Amino acid sequence: MSLRQIAFYGKGGIGKSTTSQNTLAALADLGQRILIVGCDPKADSTRLMLHAKAQDTILSLAAEAGSVEDLELEDVMKIGYKDIRCVESGGPEPGVGCAGRGVITSINFLEENGAYDDIDYVSYDVLGDVVCGGFAMPIRENKAQEIYIVMSGEMMAMYAANNISKGILKYANSGGVRLGGLICNERQTDKELELAENLAKKLGTELIHFVPRDNIVQHAELRRMTVIEYAPDSNQANEYRQLAQKIHDNAGKGIIPTPISMDELEDMLMEHGIMKAIDETQVGLTAEQLAV
Amino acid sequence: MPQNADQVLDHFELFRQPEYKDMLAKKKAEFEQPVEAEEVARVREWAKTEEYKDLNFSREALTVNPAKACQPLGAVFVAAGFEKTLPFVHGSQGCVAYYRSHFTRHFKEPTSCVSSSMTEDAAVFGGLNNMVDGLANAYNLYQPKMIAVSTTCMAEVIGDDLNAFIKTAKEKGSVPQEFDVTFAHTPAFVGSHITGYDNAMKGVLEHFWDGKAKTAEPLKRKANKKINFLGGFDGYTVGNNREIKRIFDMMNVQYTMLCDPSEVWDTPTDGEFRMYDGGTTLEDAANAIHAKATISMQQYCTEKTLPFIEAHGQEVKAFNHPVGVEATDEFIMEVARLTGVEIPEELAKERGRLVDAIADSNAHIHGKKFAIYGDPDLCYGLAKFVMELGGEPVVVLATNGGKAWAAKMQELFDSSPFGANCKAYPGKDLWHMRSLLFTEKPDFLIGNTYGKYLERDTGIPLIRIGFPIFDRHHKHRYPVWGYQGGLNVLVTILDRIFEHMDATTNVPASTDYSYDIIR
Amino acid sequence: MSVSETTDVAAVKERNRALIQEVLEVYPEKSKKRRAKHLNVHEEGNSDCGVKSNIKSIPGVMTIRGCAYAGSKGVVWGPIKDMIHISHGPVGCGQYSWAARRNYYIGTTGIDTFVTMQFTSDFQEKDIVFGGDKKLAKIMDEIQLLFPLNKGITVQSECPIGLIGDDIEAVSKSKSKEYDGKTIVPVRCEGFRGVSQSLGHHIANDAVRDWVFDKQDDKPAAFEPTPYDVAIIGDYNIGGDAWSSRILLEEMGLRVIAQWSGDGSIAELEATPKAKLNVLHCYRSMNYISRHMEEKYGIPWVEYNFFGPSKIEESLRKIASHFDDKIKEGAEAVIAKYKVLTDAVIAKYKPRLEGKKVMLYVGGLRPRHVIGAYEDLGMEVVGTGYEFGHNDDYQRTAQHYVKDGTLIYDDVTGYEFEKFVEKVQPDLVGSGIKEKYVFQKMGVPFRQMHSWDYSGPYHGYDGFAIFARDMDMAINSPVWKMAPTPWKQGPED
Repeated sequence: MSLRQIAFYGKGGIGKSTTSQNTLAALADLGQRILIVGCDPKADSTRLMLHAKAQDTILSLAAEAGSVEDLELEDVMKIGYKDIRCVESGGPEPGVGCAGRGVITSINFLEENGAYDDIDYVSYDVLGDVVCGGFAMPIRENKAQEIYIVMSGEMMAMYAANNISKGILKYANSGGVRLGGLICNERQTDKELELAENLAKKLGTELIHFVPRDNIVQHAELRRMTVIEYAPDSNQANEYRQLAQKIHDNAGKGIIPTPISMDELEDMLMEHGIMKAIDETQVGLTAEQLAV
Repeated sequence: MPQNADQVLDHFELFRQPEYKDMLAKKKAEFEQPVEAEEVARVREWAKTEEYKDLNFSREALTVNPAKACQPLGAVFVAAGFEKTLPFVHGSQGCVAYYRSHFTRHFKEPTSCVSSSMTEDAAVFGGLNNMVDGLANAYNLYQPKMIAVSTTCMAEVIGDDLNAFIKTAKEKGSVPQEFDVTFAHTPAFVGSHITGYDNAMKGVLEHFWDGKAKTAEPLKRKANKKINFLGGFDGYTVGNNREIKRIFDMMNVQYTMLCDPSEVWDTPTDGEFRMYDGGTTLEDAANAIHAKATISMQQYCTEKTLPFIEAHGQEVKAFNHPVGVEATDEFIMEVARLTGVEIPEELAKERGRLVDAIADSNAHIHGKKFAIYGDPDLCYGLAKFVMELGGEPVVVLATNGGKAWAAKMQELFDSSPFGANCKAYPGKDLWHMRSLLFTEKPDFLIGNTYGKYLERDTGIPLIRIGFPIFDRHHKHRYPVWGYQGGLNVLVTILDRIFEHMDATTNVPASTDYSYDIIR
Repeated sequence: MSVSETTDVAAVKERNRALIQEVLEVYPEKSKKRRAKHLNVHEEGNSDCGVKSNIKSIPGVMTIRGCAYAGSKGVVWGPIKDMIHISHGPVGCGQYSWAARRNYYIGTTGIDTFVTMQFTSDFQEKDIVFGGDKKLAKIMDEIQLLFPLNKGITVQSECPIGLIGDDIEAVSKSKSKEYDGKTIVPVRCEGFRGVSQSLGHHIANDAVRDWVFDKQDDKPAAFEPTPYDVAIIGDYNIGGDAWSSRILLEEMGLRVIAQWSGDGSIAELEATPKAKLNVLHCYRSMNYISRHMEEKYGIPWVEYNFFGPSKIEESLRKIASHFDDKIKEGAEAVIAKYKVLTDAVIAKYKPRLEGKKVMLYVGGLRPRHVIGAYEDLGMEVVGTGYEFGHNDDYQRTAQHYVKDGTLIYDDVTGYEFEKFVEKVQPDLVGSGIKEKYVFQKMGVPFRQMHSWDYSGPYHGYDGFAIFARDMDMAINSPVWKMAPTPWKQGPED
């Protein structure tokens, strides 16, 4: 089988790295050889695999050594659960430097040093939105073929999902990147499933899995473990296994997304009662004025 | 009034006239608030000491007078060496003005290159539109056969994707779908101009060999008897490439010179401006995949390109800017081995003539101490030749050299008693060199034009070999490779030594006794 | 008959218009429309040249322009000799501009003077990713340690600085405090800002205002003021231009208290608000600070032109008009003194240059300022354009310099310039290093009008003699006769 390259995108705080690590752990259980490339300056995309707080990142090690050319692959790659290879790109503290450039640097380094040899899956875990060219690096040609967007029924998560689809569309024609599907991480908002399915439809894709909320995820996280490892027989572990299997079977089935306009998105949210219809006569009025 | 219509005085003489000297002295005393002359003298002397050298070498952040340029310059060099190819640099336009000026000042030839002229809005929204419009304009105005795209640091920081942009531009009709647009990301904050050469060269070969960014079938290698020749980033490319072609023709070697700017940077003045001239044909660039082997004259210019070629099944061999007898021997014999040809008698004769010249002149070089700086491979080639002449390199410095280069230099020094007192300085600049010249006290300095400031400060005569050479003309026309090239380098070194001997023995009734008519 | 021999103005205009149409044909539609606005034929009596200017260059056309960094570091700040100018960012920008502009100065380089040196932060990937502020702070410490006699530091930003959001102002302020109020000037001249060098000049001017003048407000001058104190603004002392200008101002009785910025020092910058008059040569690059000094300190400013005796004479009188009779008489004395020289120069060179046609394409003030000098020698400028001029430059050009029918080209592209010269067939082209060899290959004599082709000075009376010699040398060199290959010539040639 040829190398599968996938990426998880999604709004910050949505449970993206938890979802991705659990899914990848389940894929590893299926016998897949996996490399995780964390592309978030927080460097939290691999800690459940390594039972660690955060591993040393490529960029922090490169800064110490002088330049990225001074590093060896072994310096940056740690081995975690079921031999999953773990790399964190890392990046600057908030407010300085250019995290996007850091992603480019790291991925170039990994490719040039043979990190992609002898594996079945590379998974990129990418910070929030596609905010600049650097964060689009994983969706360029010859990088990730399928993007999985982690979202929930919350308004901002849906906005982000639509924006990420725009990013994918930009590269889909020239490169080979496709949208693999949406993964809804349950937040227990109103009509969440319905909303997620509807958004998926509008984007031209499918809701590939609806991951229910379960406190066992938090229990596992406290121990810096995936549910797959912490409680392999739990219902939740089973959910992730299903998701993993779906992703595994989804090879080559990605689509070019059809992102919608802001108005369309807001209409959809209003339809489902997530957003209230705005009374245009009240726009710009203060509380005092409205009280009259 | 010093000026006069019969004998016009320009800056050389004008400002030495008393009117101007007085004026400038007054300007300084009254308005510049200068540092006291004694204090200037004190600091000037202090800057020559070991103490200062130690402080200088403790620098961690500041770079002063580096001997390196940035990646896109190397990419423009590569593009200039292909048939009717227009270099196109994606990013800010000021950079392109600089590359063109830089090459033009060295070669005294025009250098054509366009920019996608990205400005503040492109910094925010990305430079796709600049690529789309830029390719269309460049194609229509300058009718190239190929466009070779590289990037400035601006485009690299915002993360523009050349592959995707070029595809989009083609879809929008900027250039025909089948038109060759090669590309290489060349961030200025990684490596130097030699890295840019490497990336751009690999970009061209990838384009032609590996299926033109997925728009064509990758080529299948059918080995033939040819060899490919990669010169690397080379200020002597005009003279060197011609000399190499002459040698290969003499040996009956079938070859492809990958990147050959020797025509476009040496066009005649005959009434016609040739924007493009000569260069590797695109057909040859593609067919180079079938070659038996590839030779690189500069290892550190081809660190990515050579493994790429090797992975396509060719034998590869890298030299380090071979200069002189032994290095040229090794080069010629390797070419003969790879191609199975016999080395012609004429080359043996040329070799013998170089040895003859060295035999005639080496007494003037033997035991002289040399400091050398330049690109990593050039440093290696020159240091080896200096030792061959009986000279002793004591400092060899490459701002764009790394640890591996320093280790390789050390190996070279260890191979000869003439290298016993030499040290390699990777990653250091010419302000470090200045300290070293004061403390190590070599007899001569070998380097590019910027070395003239070192010569002025230290009094150590500069032998101009390297890139850029702005203040002497036509040096790039003379090869430094091959036995003939070795002869040119020998003469360049000797001329400076003799001039220096004369200049230091010409005071009547004082130093006139060594002012010999025969040397 | 070559087209260049056309003398009838109407015919010249018609030819030039046709020529403009011809070069535009090659452009794709969108670019053609945009370029059309930058090309024109001057109509006498019009208040400007009828071209758009100071607009973004079109991608891919081979513009000759540079960037804001070049305008700030390369032009305005770089020549201030006792300060250290850090090229902040990757290595290239500082490398390509290293000592290339011939801003002459006197000083001990590397000890108390630093113009022809290249100080850079040589950004590496880690500096981009993690930000460069800490490195910048350390660089300033290292400068203080190794170059203790420096009188100040400027930070010349290259592209990445603005993109990664470094706070160079904060670093400069804190280091200035640490080093007892040392002048440290952050300059936001990233290359992607603006459309050419021009914005860099403006940004650099503003940096002088904010980081030099505003610190100085109460400081008394280090010298006794006189009523005759002037400052030379906008002369970069290329080949010694400011010196051959200064000598004339001093001979007429003025006292030059500052030179901006060729052979300039921080002390001179600081003292400039004490001047009675600012005399401004390069309007384009330094009008901003002149206007500021007028508003804030009440110092009037006057533009002048020291190329060629006609304009020098006019300028000396114009400058003198701001002073008393002593200076006015001084100006007349200077004019009379040098008349002998200029008469001799014209007598020698005019017969060799009379009627020769010139095409110019330069930056700053030169596309108009040198026209008078050519005319003094009997030559005619038939085409001119600005690399980075604004409309006020074209107004000045139209109102005081160019003749009816002159071909005007703003931000000319390599393609257009080549075609124009090919068709107009001037006897001389004056432009920059990138253009020089293109035209020489075509057999057209050329002089670099940025660097004076390594000659100079060209300003002042002393400079005019050199100017005349050089133009003669270029046009009447025996080499041009040899350019055509004899056996390839037809019998009529």
